[in-house]
Amino acid sequence: MSDDTTATTTTEQPAPDRAGAPEPASPRRGAARMLEVSGLSAWYGEARVLTDVSIDVAPGEVVTLVGRNGAGKTTLLRSVMGLHRQIEGSITLDGSDLAKRSADARARAGIGWVPDDRGIYASLTVAENLLLPPVVHADAWSLERVYEFFPVLHERRDFPGTKLSGGEQQMLAMARVLRMGSRLLLLDEPSEGLAPVIVQRIGEIIREIKGQGVGVLLVEQNVAFASTVADRHYLLAQGKVVEHLGNDDFRAREGELLTYLGM
Amino acid sequence: MRSRTVQGTVAIAATASLALAACGGAGGPQSGGSSKLTDDKVVIGLLNDQSGVYKDLSGPNSKVAIEMAIADYKAKYGDKAVAKDIEVVTADHQNKADIANSKAQEMYDRQKADIILDVPNSAAALAVATQAKNKKKLYINIGAGTTALTGASCNKYTFHWAYNTAVLARGTAGTITKEGGTSWNIVYPDYAFGQDMNKSFSAEVTKNGGTVGQSIASPFPSDNFATFITKAGEGSPKVIGSMHAGGDLINFVKQFNQSSLKGKVQLAVGLMFITDIHSLGVDQFAGTQFTDAWYWNFDAQNKKWADQFKEKTNTRPSFAHAANYSAAMNYLEAVQEAGTDDADTIVGKLEGKKINDVFLRNGEIRKADHAVIHDVYLAKVKSSAPEEWDYEDIEKTIPAAEAYGAANPACSMS
Amino acid sequence: MSEFIQYTLQGLAAGGFYALSALGLAVIFGVLGVVNFSHGACYMLGAVLSAVLLAELNVGFWAALIIVPVLMFGFGVLMERLLVRWLLELDPLYNFLLTFGLTLVIVEAVKQRYGVSGLPYQVPAGLGGQVSVGSVNLSVYAIFACLFSVVVCVAVGLLLTKTRIGMIVRAATEAPDRTRALGINVGLWVTPVFGFGIALAGLAGVLAAPTRAITAEMGSNFIIILFAVVVIGGLGSILGAVVAGFLVGLVEAYGIAYAPTYAQIVIFVLMALVVLVRPSGLFGREEVA
Repeated sequence: MSDDTTATTTTEQPAPDRAGAPEPASPRRGAARMLEVSGLSAWYGEARVLTDVSIDVAPGEVVTLVGRNGAGKTTLLRSVMGLHRQIEGSITLDGSDLAKRSADARARAGIGWVPDDRGIYASLTVAENLLLPPVVHADAWSLERVYEFFPVLHERRDFPGTKLSGGEQQMLAMARVLRMGSRLLLLDEPSEGLAPVIVQRIGEIIREIKGQGVGVLLVEQNVAFASTVADRHYLLAQGKVVEHLGNDDFRAREGELLTYLGM
Repeated sequence: MRSRTVQGTVAIAATASLALAACGGAGGPQSGGSSKLTDDKVVIGLLNDQSGVYKDLSGPNSKVAIEMAIADYKAKYGDKAVAKDIEVVTADHQNKADIANSKAQEMYDRQKADIILDVPNSAAALAVATQAKNKKKLYINIGAGTTALTGASCNKYTFHWAYNTAVLARGTAGTITKEGGTSWNIVYPDYAFGQDMNKSFSAEVTKNGGTVGQSIASPFPSDNFATFITKAGEGSPKVIGSMHAGGDLINFVKQFNQSSLKGKVQLAVGLMFITDIHSLGVDQFAGTQFTDAWYWNFDAQNKKWADQFKEKTNTRPSFAHAANYSAAMNYLEAVQEAGTDDADTIVGKLEGKKINDVFLRNGEIRKADHAVIHDVYLAKVKSSAPEEWDYEDIEKTIPAAEAYGAANPACSMS
Repeated sequence: MSEFIQYTLQGLAAGGFYALSALGLAVIFGVLGVVNFSHGACYMLGAVLSAVLLAELNVGFWAALIIVPVLMFGFGVLMERLLVRWLLELDPLYNFLLTFGLTLVIVEAVKQRYGVSGLPYQVPAGLGGQVSVGSVNLSVYAIFACLFSVVVCVAVGLLLTKTRIGMIVRAATEAPDRTRALGINVGLWVTPVFGFGIALAGLAGVLAAPTRAITAEMGSNFIIILFAVVVIGGLGSILGAVVAGFLVGLVEAYGIAYAPTYAQIVIFVLMALVVLVRPSGLFGREEVA
């Protein structure tokens, strides 16, 4: 389980200016929304970890969730995926309500999850890890394309999944949802603990799939990395959205945000 | 909150049962005048295993056997019967000594049982013997094998009707050794009964000029005997003795039959009942020798009774069914003779009595230790059954005196 | 020496049977996280069904090897649908208690219907007798039971490693939530897998019928040994169950040969040692506490 539960009690600094201004002159583009989360609250038992969160992602758009550990970012992703069910509020995908849908139904509806631990199966080979999920969309990458894009996965296709390096596992986790053809990716800290060259590669992948019209909801603490791939940013603190910035604003205030995030 | 409610319920239940026990106690041992029945009727308590391993051996069908005795008694004496109102009460002791103990208490005190019959399982049997002694009420054990009933734990009110482990050892080990089966290996289950059987069998083999190469203890219970059997075959003995009972015995015999020893070594079984043969199939036990206290198809007299029994139960009687009949019948005869069901008077009538009936041949209720001695039989399992339950060839009748030996010196009647 | 070979072969023969018997327990624990206490009772039902099929419908051993697992699969599906699934979300202890209670019900029901002294069953024609090489003897049936068990274990192993079904089952075993998030309806697989595990218990029962006492209680002691097997092998590990099955068979045989009274204790000493050195068993995944 993530550390969201324990961290809710830490007091956070109030955000710099503009704090609490919910809908600034919208940094959002005009495109139709793919994922829409509105008024979402979530609990772990008695502990409330998200309060009235509203965010959205459009096709071909990369949106980040930025915040300290325990701000509720992972819980938000898990709620969208349907793995965390103790929630209130609404989550819709392409306009249809997800509340009654199980995690597997959501995955088949086009949501692809790349968990922060990469979620690679030790008991499956690399190839099996790729082939396990069903193909859910016509735009899905073929196995050939996956191997062409990630030659290392081809080389190691018969290795147990967890024998790969951290970076390779991250590639595998992302390749897996691409092969599914997911239309909305939930990426939980893909750059965490990886060498800069690999982080750069991940950035390339994100830009590649963005070009295909895939929406990405990216949890990221690496502000510099986030600013190279994302269109918009939501700042989460104590389970609430405290800022909503376009990428230009985000870049302009990078230093200030870094201090705020304590990074 | 919930736990408090449960506690309350338990407390109420405990209080209620305490109160009931007190009432029962008050109404208990009030022996009436010596010429009359206590509380105007005779109550026979049947306490045995009605759901476990001895259910088929004795169990509910022993009630049928007792009712047959009651019917025969009434038919014999008609209007002159002293006991006109005879009731049978039954209870399941589940082969547990503590349950047997409390059920016996309940039978004697609350259900006003004048006598308790059967009680297989040695621990349960001994618990009831203590109750009989304390309550000064009659108790005839049939199903249990322990020699303690007529030894260290013997008492004035307790009788042991059918067999004991020493009889099995003399019958099986003694007879087979005398007839040439002189070298033995014994496998026994490692608990009180098995250890006891191993000791008495080894003693009998040695006494009759044989040798026991090895005695091997097996865990109890156990279902994999293949390796034990291999080990028991080491040293090429003439006889392998299995002291197992119930499911363990069946496992042992099945696996013995699949071993290379089958046909080369004689298999002798310490404690076996006709119900074991029935459940396993006669061909699996074919040729196995054991001591039986009674066999339904031994002679015309037994067969006639077995036919009556079959009409009522649709099955053939085990020795325990016949012994329950015999014990109930002889008890009622004693009541008739004494004109009362007063326990001390009945004990006087039973002690030393010589009996020949459907179960007891050359029988005698030995005064010294209350062992009811009688002829027993060395049986060999047939290779095929001419009809269902017709499984045994009686090879030898072992006379009562030889089978039972001298009275147990450990017994001092009090 | 020939004595040692004799005991080794007997240990291996018993081990193959233990492996098959423990396999279903491992499969069910692996996928559902349920410690199925009723495995012993289902093994007993398998043996009782064989005996009843033979006595009442004249269905022999070979047919029973097919029919009984199918019936037990149905029984497992019912068990999972009606009972087990409602407790899957709760602490595993609840399903352990449920299956424990179910064991009592099954055992008592069999006692009521078929009595307690057991049911007859013979070694099937052609599998009687012994094979002897020098002074080493093994019963033909024991060899058959061991080989049959190994074949079934290998088949189950191939099913799990070489097929898509196996891939899904392995994934669901390793991380059920993650597997759901990858679009696989894990719940859909839970019922047949449970049924499959119960069918394996029933199959072990059929295999036991010719060589063991068929009584309502026959599974009560056996389940304890099976628990030792899966704990030694690593809960939920198929390979572990198979290896530990053979290991326990051998240890038991040597125990009987050289220290008969301690034959069964030796198994649990082995279990204790394994757990001390590797708490998650020989092939168990290290759990993050």
